[in-house]
Amino acid sequence: RAMELPPSHFPAARAAAVAMGYLRYLRGGPGRGLELRELRRARRQDIDDVGHKYYLELELEDVLDKDRTVNCTAEVLYHLGSKTSAPDVQVTVQGELRSTEEADEEFYNWIRSLEKELVAENIPDSHGNVPPELEPIHLLAWVASGYVIWQNSTGNTKFHLAQVKHVKQVKRSDEDLQFDYVLLLHEMVSQELLPWQVTLLWHPQRGARVSQ
Amino acid sequence: ANMKLILIFAALIGVSLCLETFVGHQVLRIKTKNEEEVKQLQLLESLEHLELDFWINPSAPALPVDVRIPAVSVQSVKAFLESQGIEYSILIEDLQDVLDKEKQDMAKSAQRQRSSSFDFGAYHGLDDINEELDHLASEYSFVEKIQIGESYEKRPLYVLKFSTGGSERPAIWLDAGIHSREWVTQASALWIANKIASDYGTDASITSLLDKMDLFLLPVANPDGFVYTHTSNRMWRKTRSKIPGSICVGVDPNRNWDAGFGGPGASNKPCSDSYHGPSANSEVEVKSVVDFIKNHGNFKAFLTLHSYSQLLMYPYGYKCTRPDDYAELESLGRAAASSIRSLYGTTFQVGTICKTIYQASGGSIDWSYDNGIKYSFAFELRDTGRYGFLLPANQIIPAAKETWLGLKKIMEHVRD
Repeated sequence: RAMELPPSHFPAARAAAVAMGYLRYLRGGPGRGLELRELRRARRQDIDDVGHKYYLELELEDVLDKDRTVNCTAEVLYHLGSKTSAPDVQVTVQGELRSTEEADEEFYNWIRSLEKELVAENIPDSHGNVPPELEPIHLLAWVASGYVIWQNSTGNTKFHLAQVKHVKQVKRSDEDLQFDYVLLLHEMVSQELLPWQVTLLWHPQRGARVSQ
Repeated sequence: ANMKLILIFAALIGVSLCLETFVGHQVLRIKTKNEEEVKQLQLLESLEHLELDFWINPSAPALPVDVRIPAVSVQSVKAFLESQGIEYSILIEDLQDVLDKEKQDMAKSAQRQRSSSFDFGAYHGLDDINEELDHLASEYSFVEKIQIGESYEKRPLYVLKFSTGGSERPAIWLDAGIHSREWVTQASALWIANKIASDYGTDASITSLLDKMDLFLLPVANPDGFVYTHTSNRMWRKTRSKIPGSICVGVDPNRNWDAGFGGPGASNKPCSDSYHGPSANSEVEVKSVVDFIKNHGNFKAFLTLHSYSQLLMYPYGYKCTRPDDYAELESLGRAAASSIRSLYGTTFQVGTICKTIYQASGGSIDWSYDNGIKYSFAFELRDTGRYGFLLPANQIIPAAKETWLGLKKIMEHVRD
């Protein structure tokens, strides 16, 4: 009952973008940026009174470790009619992602050691440059945008993070790092650039979560 | 005498090494007062063993005689002139010095040329781009810069015409930057222009292409938008035309063509980034191209560059049915994508606009196809979203190179 879809056609590509957003939120960090190397296979199942479900086989790469890839399967369910409900996503990563323990600790200690709260804007800049020391901040923005993209996607949208307009670190009394982001998201179907405010909390062991 | 010996030796070695050295050579200017003195100089000229090199030969008393004298003979020639009372002055004391300095100057000038030449691996503003178009047109006889119209804010729309002759030859159209924020496209178009110009005559494919067909390249199809991305908003996409009754500015120039105009996939809201405009061809940037192509009447291919997503698409966008030439366009698209991939492994997806990206009405390649230009393709260049519109400059040349391979594949097919 699941229809095979050409991976080059947009319905599969849009579902893959949702899966990637979810993956980045779950598994991304200041030392890991997950990219889709290739969408290998896509199938779709229409479930009466529920919605459309996509079964995807993805080949992933870590932008900081491009020599190898990791396979992953994902299921993306767009709920029928509901404009306020985020798609349900499940992912299974087959194999190991490169460990980022060391890089995470380094980043954590660096931010905690800053006297003045970190502030930055326009990452990347107009020419595509990202200063090396801000790359972890850029990758954390991918985590934050991953959440936003997952939560706000429908079958008629395809979001990408276009730029970090602004980021401000907020010092906290607990052990989490907090970054208040203003992100620019590019929505491919309407071609609009949408600003989005997101607060991201991150900890080397506990990982990331978006603060509501 | 030893000195003379050494110099003779050096000269001989220089000659045997095929290295002419002019160390110690002098150039004299001799002012003859009468016919008698002219005859004396002509006698000197006949003495071949002296190896005198007359830059101006003795002919009439009124004219100066310039002669280069090899080092070994300098003293004896001077002695001869003085004994005859013939006046002379030293034009060049040591010719080698002059040659050395000239070499230095040339090297410096060449360096200056190289460093003031256009950096294709960087992003440039509109003025620099237009300057480079002028440079290409002046450097290559078969490249001409023509103006096909003006933008809304009255900026010239410049097209490079590549033509090696003939009249109204079948032609290929290539444009970039219709959406101004897609910076890798204008940048790639410049690299491609330079590539075609400099490879004509040496690359067999380009040479046979331009020997049969003309190429028209519009590197900045939306100059107002482009300037705006530099001065105000890097993410600006549309034109900068004022819309009556709205505070919002600009029309999506790739929803403004007369192909399914106003249909699905374009917005009727002026503030939208895909606003189709009040009517088809309302944007002067679009109308200028339409008029130019219609007036020419002999275009065989219409190719347009966008970014990002790495896609190679053919009609239709405004409807989801296949074009009549589906089989040929799909096959040619795949071949082109294959060529692109051969360079760096970059994969482009191939298909109709409607199936590959979205249904979108009023697009340029739908218009060109419906107007008889069979080979109509739209490219979406690098990347797939990691940097998106903000592609780092160090990817410009790789993107241009791989895209060029795809374009070339299509052009070769059109030519044959």
